[in-house]
Amino acid sequence: MPNDPAFLALAGVAKRYGGAVALRDVSFSAGRGSIHAILGENGAGKSTLMKILAGAVAADCGSVTLDGRPLRLDGPAAALREGIVCIFQELSIIPDLTVAENICLADPPRRRIGTIDRGAQRRRARAVLDALGCGSGLDVRARCADLPLAKRQIVEIAKALARRPRVLILDEATSALSAEDAERVMRHLRRLREEGVCVLFISHRMHEVDALADTCSVFRNGEHVATFPAGSRTHDEIVRLMIGRSIAHVYPPKPERPPPAEPYLRVRGLARDGVLKGIDLDVRPGEIVGLGGLDGQGQRELLLALAGVLRGTTGDVRIGTAAGLPSGPRAAGGPGRRIALIPEDRKTEGLFLGLSVAANLSFAALDRLSRCGIVDTDAERALVAGLAGRLAVKAPDRDAPVATLSGGNQQKVVLGKWLATEPKLLLLMDPTRGIDVGTKQEIYRLMRDLAAAGVAILFHSTDYDELIGLCDRVLVLYDGRVAARLSGAEITEEAIVASALNLRPAASAAGSRRPHREALA
Amino acid sequence: MIPLVRALPRPVAAPGPAGVIALALVVLLLAGGLADPRFFSPAYLLQQLHTGAFLGVIAIGAMVVILTGHIDLSVPWTLSAAATFSTAFVGAAGEGAQGELGLLVGLAVGAGIGLVNGIGVAYLRLPSMIWTLAVNMVVLGVCVLHAGLYASGSRPSAVMATLGGGWIGSLVPNAVVVWMVLSAAAVFLLRRTVAGRCLYAVGTRESAAWLSGIDTRRVLLGAFVISGLCSAVAGMLLAGYANQAYQRMGDPYLLPGIAAVVLGGTSILGGRGSYGGCVAGVLLITLITSMLSLLQVPEAFKQIAYGGVIILMVGYYSRRAAAERA
Repeated sequence: MPNDPAFLALAGVAKRYGGAVALRDVSFSAGRGSIHAILGENGAGKSTLMKILAGAVAADCGSVTLDGRPLRLDGPAAALREGIVCIFQELSIIPDLTVAENICLADPPRRRIGTIDRGAQRRRARAVLDALGCGSGLDVRARCADLPLAKRQIVEIAKALARRPRVLILDEATSALSAEDAERVMRHLRRLREEGVCVLFISHRMHEVDALADTCSVFRNGEHVATFPAGSRTHDEIVRLMIGRSIAHVYPPKPERPPPAEPYLRVRGLARDGVLKGIDLDVRPGEIVGLGGLDGQGQRELLLALAGVLRGTTGDVRIGTAAGLPSGPRAAGGPGRRIALIPEDRKTEGLFLGLSVAANLSFAALDRLSRCGIVDTDAERALVAGLAGRLAVKAPDRDAPVATLSGGNQQKVVLGKWLATEPKLLLLMDPTRGIDVGTKQEIYRLMRDLAAAGVAILFHSTDYDELIGLCDRVLVLYDGRVAARLSGAEITEEAIVASALNLRPAASAAGSRRPHREALA
Repeated sequence: MIPLVRALPRPVAAPGPAGVIALALVVLLLAGGLADPRFFSPAYLLQQLHTGAFLGVIAIGAMVVILTGHIDLSVPWTLSAAATFSTAFVGAAGEGAQGELGLLVGLAVGAGIGLVNGIGVAYLRLPSMIWTLAVNMVVLGVCVLHAGLYASGSRPSAVMATLGGGWIGSLVPNAVVVWMVLSAAAVFLLRRTVAGRCLYAVGTRESAAWLSGIDTRRVLLGAFVISGLCSAVAGMLLAGYANQAYQRMGDPYLLPGIAAVVLGGTSILGGRGSYGGCVAGVLLITLITSMLSLLQVPEAFKQIAYGGVIILMVGYYSRRAAAERA
């Protein structure tokens, strides 16, 4: 396959939204049969660039050529006709259709009279999923709304692959996947590269970029800053290019020893029908405890049960001064327990997208900001100003709808909304998913500061790096049980991977992964 | 003071619903005045305001429910039932202090119907469009059972008659004062109370509100009770104005009530809208109706004009919203 370095080429592309410049005179090319990583902070223009290629957004000026031919991308349909397929960070599957129907949505197999051949549709979906390697355990007849986020993302990827793309764009498309599925998807992307597909790959996970990309391009503030062969620069250099300054440490230092306090959260034998099979766990004030493991081993259910959202969970639980699991979110946040849950999906569970930044920040704390049901607006303003300042939320103003903020800033608002309630136990579900390095770093620092102020933190992450860099202790779940309890120097990638696969650390085959952490730290 | 939120440039927005309607009102007044000089007389305009007040009270309830992302289609017969039962009570109990208890009867009828609506939508999770429509029909049946097709022994109490039909020294209709008082209460509710914040939050995303520790079912229930109460108040004012309760007295108010709210810029999907826009919407609808009557436009053209205005305004809002998103 000829490796044409300018298979896909952009020249002088620019895009403004009102007064804000999203892309400034971007010229850029990517080769056939290559995997090209696009790096940059949120708001650097990566997503706008991808949307232009996908035909979802029209560029103000500039040209796009594919295989030497100029393209007119006046809509998603036009881009798809050219074989440009995009997997966006925002999921685009239709929740009420089945897995098979979603995967074959664009061109379902038809019978002669024009009706959809469901049998063939299921077989085709099965074949795509099997080729991807993620098919096992995913029923193609299942309704997508019933699947967890990670599985929906697999369907999203399979749906794109079913269109046989010439140019495949992944915009943070692996951010919700378990490490295992991400590995399989990466393997498949390498296969596509050999078949001559041009893959553009946006990810904030540097180890994925290391493992996958041939070429890296860095964007900053809407400009194309640099393009270089993968591996030719250290992570430090790349991060510097991305943020335009150097960062000393991604993770804040851990305290020498966790404070010897009584556990704020004490769980014994937590069980729930086939998902949780007897979990014991303690979290002390001032401690950050990580929850790791492959996807779907009960981490989600554990956190939801502790927040009182999941009915039918049993076990001996003590939270603060209260015994037993809370009966609902209201009881969880109440004075006895003071729990805050940062949910997985910030757009549907964490935020009121149409409401202002201020209304979002104060909402969960209105009880304490009001007397007899009447809001004390002065106290509210002070609270909002304090939170916005503490979290450095970047917003046009506090009355702007939170939907207009970037992903990282939205996540800060979710955190702020819960910090306003001054929680004693913070439950976080993958809070840094799809967020740029700079914001991630701020969130890590915030979590460490909260812990130092005596908050007990239970933190679920799909990113091993975070578990290693941030947590005082890590519990790795496997099949609804705690497979390993790691603390201090035991928290290594090898140990986490081995326990996630329920292997003994000695038998670990994961040592072959590249040691990338040192470069970032 | 240090700027705590970093300022980013924000594009200047096109005029909002209240501004657009204010403009439309001025244009309508001028056009009407040119066509017929009676239009400018204060007496005429006050009279329009008087009829607008009934619609205004209904629109308060409609807006509260629409803000939660639901709809109350039981307005016509809640209004009629409250008027029918309260005046029937007055008819039975006679004038005087006893008769004034009829006001409580009317409010109880409104709150009761609102409660039934709210239980169906919030606790049984039935679609509000179907459930409230069904409740409307049941109430219709109950009213007809009670009174036959003619309201028997219906007479408003002295307070109803005064509030609905009276004037303060021939300057301001009392109904307008009632509307203004309820409006002030609505603004306070929406802007300053926890309950008001909850209405917006539930309308924007109920699951997020629930996870924030809000009992969202109670919020929905409350919204429908408020709507029932507003319909009841409007019904009793109207009975006082007309000096009787009559079947189908609520029919002309359902769609104009919803139209006023939507014209006022409240999103029919919930979560967005200001009360100022709602008042402007009521004024606009009232003025259009009266102007078309004054100009003796045939009924068919009235309906066309009415629909045309809704298409124009709502079309403008959604274009504007789309432009803001882009």
